[in-house]
Amino acid sequence: MTILEWDGYQAAGTKAQTYKTVVFGKDYTDEFGASGLAYSLIQNDSSAINSVRTGKKFDVLHPCAENFKDYVDGGFVQPWDTSLLPSFANLNPALVKGGQFNGQQYAIPWDWGYGSVIYRTDMVDPADATGWELFWNPKYKDRISMWNGATTNFEIAALKLGFPQMDNLTNDQLDQATQSLIEQKPLNKFLWASEYTNLQPALTNGDIWIAYSWQDQWVYGREHKPPIPFNFMQPTQGRLGWYCGFMLGKDTANYYHAHKYVESYINHAAALSLTNTFYYGSADATVKGSEIADQQVAKSLSIGDPNVLSDTSKVHLQSWEPNEVAVQTAWEKVTAA
Amino acid sequence: MSAIGSRARRSASFLRPGSGLLILPPTVWVLAVLVAPIVLIGLYSVNLKTNLLGVPTAFSTANWKDFLPPGPNPFWDRFKISMTITLVVSVVTVVAAYPLAYFLAFVAGKRRYALLMLLLAPFFTSYLLRVIAWQVILNNHGVINSLLWQLGLRPHGDGIPWLIYSKFSVGLVLFYSWVPFVAVPMFVVLDTMDRSLIEAAHDLGASRLTAFLRVTFPLSIPGVIAGFVFVLIPTTGEFITPLLVGGPSSFMFGNSIQSFFTDTPNWNYGAVLALWLVAIVLVMLLLFGRYLSTDLEDAST
Repeated sequence: MTILEWDGYQAAGTKAQTYKTVVFGKDYTDEFGASGLAYSLIQNDSSAINSVRTGKKFDVLHPCAENFKDYVDGGFVQPWDTSLLPSFANLNPALVKGGQFNGQQYAIPWDWGYGSVIYRTDMVDPADATGWELFWNPKYKDRISMWNGATTNFEIAALKLGFPQMDNLTNDQLDQATQSLIEQKPLNKFLWASEYTNLQPALTNGDIWIAYSWQDQWVYGREHKPPIPFNFMQPTQGRLGWYCGFMLGKDTANYYHAHKYVESYINHAAALSLTNTFYYGSADATVKGSEIADQQVAKSLSIGDPNVLSDTSKVHLQSWEPNEVAVQTAWEKVTAA
Repeated sequence: MSAIGSRARRSASFLRPGSGLLILPPTVWVLAVLVAPIVLIGLYSVNLKTNLLGVPTAFSTANWKDFLPPGPNPFWDRFKISMTITLVVSVVTVVAAYPLAYFLAFVAGKRRYALLMLLLAPFFTSYLLRVIAWQVILNNHGVINSLLWQLGLRPHGDGIPWLIYSKFSVGLVLFYSWVPFVAVPMFVVLDTMDRSLIEAAHDLGASRLTAFLRVTFPLSIPGVIAGFVFVLIPTTGEFITPLLVGGPSSFMFGNSIQSFFTDTPNWNYGAVLALWLVAIVLVMLLLFGRYLSTDLEDAST
């Protein structure tokens, strides 16, 4: 079974899964073994959808909500049979609804979280660390690394510029955001492509002080021995928010295996394992705050409550972009400039 | 054998009954895997094909007009920067490889082929791994900076800022990658050179330097040009090295093409850039191609 997945989310029991404590996927590998699972890693949302558009085959895919519609409209996926997923009933209704198209369940939500600025508190002046504009601070030239993710960077630029519809920019706003990102680009040491092989080592050894990241890097810093002084910023403009889910390949020959596989991720123990490993939220509404290992982290990230994603004073949920081609082309102009 | 005689013999061979059929399979192969994809890319570039669902196709040169001068365009600027990097790398590589080839051909004696194999030995490993190895050497906590810190030449933790993720690092790794390949054609020409011409120059009173400048070097020019082309053409479309050791300001034109086809849904614009690069490579092949065939042959006879 071929799975397009983000690094770190491979099933427990596979060689690629190096976190010893995770149990997501374990039920599947216990029953069927790990040898039948082949992972193809997602670098970013754009390259994932484009690889599928150009013919990449998969049985199960783990995209984020902003691309659900693209996969459905492109005819690359088919609806799940939720009766084959015993834990489906436990999932958060709002996230479940986000995976529905044409009255059918195309995406099974699993994980959610934030995107924000992570920075080294031992290197960055707290007075500078107020919002997304930290990426544009020339004081930190060559100590910054934004993600090589086109749409995310335009969302960041839009928030910094004060455009409320970050995923539906007008042509003029897109031009302004492009110009802003061109101005920001020389401040980056590099645009990171891999969270674990580019970003994490550079942040850990101090080559980079400021980066775009998800909350798992902050938790990594807390748990590192000795701890790395990271802060995961709550920008004045608000964090980015995301949720992702599993989609089923249209031509999969592993229909029932795919359901078994996804059930092994959405069951209660697996969902709790996701949260206690990466401190991402899970779609499982039955996860109780008391079950989360680090209560302080859980509280600061509100990870027991996915409804925080709709609180626009704190979070801006990444959503489908009607002008995706224009945004992607503009990003190419930024990288070429 | 003269070049003219060689060409005539080849023509006669081609005209033998039935032998024309022998070129049919490679012709079909070239048409299928080289010409057809270029035609396909051409169709994308003028919007007669698209990878976007539900988007109508209609002939349009809008992307070409956007890319080509005189209008401002970052891809055009990136192309000029890339060509500068490519030319600098090609020239520096040729200059560095020439003494190497000379040493192998004139000094190394019987050991020259063993030394040539030694030179090529690292190239039995993957290109990607070799570039990643340079990351280990050049990065802020890498071999060079660590050494400088140990020797007290720089404060601990303060790496040389331009050592990696810069145009310098891209040029350095490209240089390293191509030196042996550039040395090979120059070595072939120098090794097969008629030594009696050099001896004659000495007999007529030429110093070693004069003999080199008036005899050896001019006769080796086809190899120099071949080596130059060997590095120039592949590096024109390079994208792996800038991706791994280049920073956001040292991406090359090839990175834009790669990104248009893998990260963005806009193949039509990517096709314009790709076709432009193909055209540039073809022009370079036309300019330098003759030196890769007849003159090399002449030099070795």
